Amino acid sequence: MEELTRVWEWTLDVGGYHLVFNAMTIVMTLIIMALLILFGFYATRKTQYVPNPCQMVAEMFVQTFWNLTKDALDEEMAKKYFPLICSLFMFLLLSNWIGVLPHMNEPTKDLNTTLGLGIMGFCIAHYAGIKTKGFWTYAKEYFQPVFFMMPLNVIGELAKVISISFRLYGNIMGGSIIILVVTHLVYGLVLPPFLNGFFGLFVGTVQAFVFTMLTLVYISVQVK
Amino acid sequence: MAIDQLTWIHAASYFGAGVSVGFGAIGAALGEGYTAGQASDILSYRPRMSGEILKTMLVGQAVAETAGIFALVVSMLLMFGELKGHTLLEGWAYVGAGLSAGLSAIGSGIGAGFPAGAACKALARQPSASGQITLNMLIGASITQTPCIFGLVIAFLLMFLDHSAMPYYPYWAAFLGAGLSTGLAAIGPGYGGGLVGSGACLSLARNPEAQRPITTAMLVGIGTTQSTAIYGFLISLILIFKGFPESTSYVPSFALLGAGFAMGFGGIGPGIGEGITGKYALDQVGRVPEEATLLTRTMLVGQAVSESTGIYSLVVALLLVLNA
Repeated sequence: MEELTRVWEWTLDVGGYHLVFNAMTIVMTLIIMALLILFGFYATRKTQYVPNPCQMVAEMFVQTFWNLTKDALDEEMAKKYFPLICSLFMFLLLSNWIGVLPHMNEPTKDLNTTLGLGIMGFCIAHYAGIKTKGFWTYAKEYFQPVFFMMPLNVIGELAKVISISFRLYGNIMGGSIIILVVTHLVYGLVLPPFLNGFFGLFVGTVQAFVFTMLTLVYISVQVK
Repeated sequence: MAIDQLTWIHAASYFGAGVSVGFGAIGAALGEGYTAGQASDILSYRPRMSGEILKTMLVGQAVAETAGIFALVVSMLLMFGELKGHTLLEGWAYVGAGLSAGLSAIGSGIGAGFPAGAACKALARQPSASGQITLNMLIGASITQTPCIFGLVIAFLLMFLDHSAMPYYPYWAAFLGAGLSTGLAAIGPGYGGGLVGSGACLSLARNPEAQRPITTAMLVGIGTTQSTAIYGFLISLILIFKGFPESTSYVPSFALLGAGFAMGFGGIGPGIGEGITGKYALDQVGRVPEEATLLTRTMLVGQAVSESTGIYSLVVALLLVLNA
């Protein structure tokens, strides 16, 4: 049961600061990025009228998320934010699925990844809001309905970052803890494949989709 | 009669086992009863479809049972598991584990029954869309289990973590607070998530062609409904992992216990409230699928307002933990 809270770390002392890098997360993120780049390369290398499997999967992703983005934002803004939304989903999906393979860890099991992505979404949404509405209209919304509600409105916005990142982290980390403990309890017999199927593939897909859609809806709430 | 340490830990593990399966039995049973009631209700209108409705009812009940089974697993582990017996803290960890697994099963058990019951009704109204309705029910009911899974994770962490190096004061309260925070805060979101799922199933029966906007709105709705369960989970993780200094007074201990209660009870109301918001919004998505984006956005803003009391609890709990 020692693996329960084990983290692979690199520590580095630079200029008096003690820096800790989560080695596993960094390596797995790089692997996933490499896989996505390979996928993109193969999907677009020889585009045909009758698509090869890779191209078909890519077209499916693009079509689905283009429609979703277009519905949530208007056509002009969708062009700008669609690449972000689609690649965010593909990255999260592969990140959540990769834990099914032995000796592979989900980067989303690390709070640093999900919190980073959550803060990214938060900054983009607020940037979009300031850009479309102008700074004063944007700032005035924090003083609604009465001015002293301002601190609570700000905390409410910050809580969104916490809830979106902890939702993904909690589900993926929770799934892997349950798989670890139950596998240990049944001596690795019968149950683990089903658990991996449920927590890795099913929950992973749904949570990747929820994270992506919430990022999109947060942007759409800010710009409207 | 002098009682030694191991006996106390043993007693605590039995107590935790009882608490876990006792509370855990409440929710699943209620949810399954609701499902069966809805199925019987609709069966009188469509006696010919009895086979199909019975099948959906049983599948839905099996999903609702999951929450109860999680609590049962924790109970079994507490009863038959190996005791380490290093410090008395282990006993408090077992009580916390029982509370976490048991209380968190209440909401998800009841909640998972709602989409199942609604799916039986939807099936009778729109038999041609049975595949879509069953799929939607399964997705909705499985996501409703998320708060319960958080409870199970905290229970496992409390049971299997090595706490021999932690000081007894204030950690006994931290473990109890961690169990209460996740357990209680999971009740509302589990219940509310089920309401959103039931709205989605009925909406799908009204307009099976609008499957895409309905599923998207349902996932977003359940996702935001679970925010307070996530805050409870966050407070529990902080309570377990923050590393509190040893103290000689009772004050820090009770601050930590208070943090658990604050976040736990504070999470119940917002979860149910947001679920009601989501249910009505989902109901309309089926009627006017072309306005799904507007409805989702309004739903999200409304849910954010009803969540504010949960955020007050989060702030108070964080202040209590930081001051301890």
